Amino acid sequence: MDLFSSMRVSASGLDVQTKRMNTISSNIANAETTRGAGPGSGPYRRKDPVIAAEVDRESFGAVLQNRLDQDVQGVSVVDIAEDERAPRMVYNPHHPDANAEGYVAMPNVNPVEEMANMISAQRSYEANVTALNAAKSMAQKALEIGR
Amino acid sequence: METGFDPIIGALNTSLNVRQLNQNVISSNIANADTPGYRAKVVDFEAALREVLRSDQSIAQVETQPGHRAKHATDPVHIQINEDQNAVASLDGNTVDRAGEMVKLAQNQLLYDASAEMLKRKLGMLKYAIAEGGGNR
Repeated sequence: MDLFSSMRVSASGLDVQTKRMNTISSNIANAETTRGAGPGSGPYRRKDPVIAAEVDRESFGAVLQNRLDQDVQGVSVVDIAEDERAPRMVYNPHHPDANAEGYVAMPNVNPVEEMANMISAQRSYEANVTALNAAKSMAQKALEIGR
Repeated sequence: METGFDPIIGALNTSLNVRQLNQNVISSNIANADTPGYRAKVVDFEAALREVLRSDQSIAQVETQPGHRAKHATDPVHIQINEDQNAVASLDGNTVDRAGEMVKLAQNQLLYDASAEMLKRKLGMLKYAIAEGGGNR
């Protein structure tokens, strides 16, 4: 239990928000993608990171199974889930991926939703940076004791 | 912690430790602000410090006779980390109040710095006394 465990927790938060940002960019970039790599793979499906809390494993206290350390939790992305919502059907009979009725299955990505998620990820990232800097300046302050 | 010099030094030491734990808990809350089902946690700093001050009577008591000192323990504090009972859960069951955590973070940092500064000055005064007023503070 030291200030480094606070820094590790903040770093795990930064890592999660980075991964979240990656999936958001992937979703936005593929907002019009109608086919995947393999044949008949269908349109791109929206991806969503699954975020879960985890106990700070690296700390010395975790070895001792300190009760207090179990309440200090980092965070990690445990899975990238695909959005199960149905694809958006757009009438475009001349498109090579159009079905017999002339409809093309477009990705189930909603750009507005992605932009909102992006802002949220950005703010969370900034909050973690602030927490990291706070821990750093506290540690520096502690080094000044007795100087 | 028994320092032998000044009971306040022990109290400041405890204060720093609790603030450090508080920092860990707050950063844990901030990191998990997007974790579904995560419950925000709080360290009851005031209750913890109150307990220390109760156990360390020498801080609260006035000494009337030399050598008449009450129990001098800034005993290992029994600190409770609780789930925040007042928090409101969002749709995914997460109870972290981001703005509130940022405020607590700033507050905790300032109070940690204040305790560290006081400790530094206390030790500076000790140094000054040890050097018989000759050393620099």
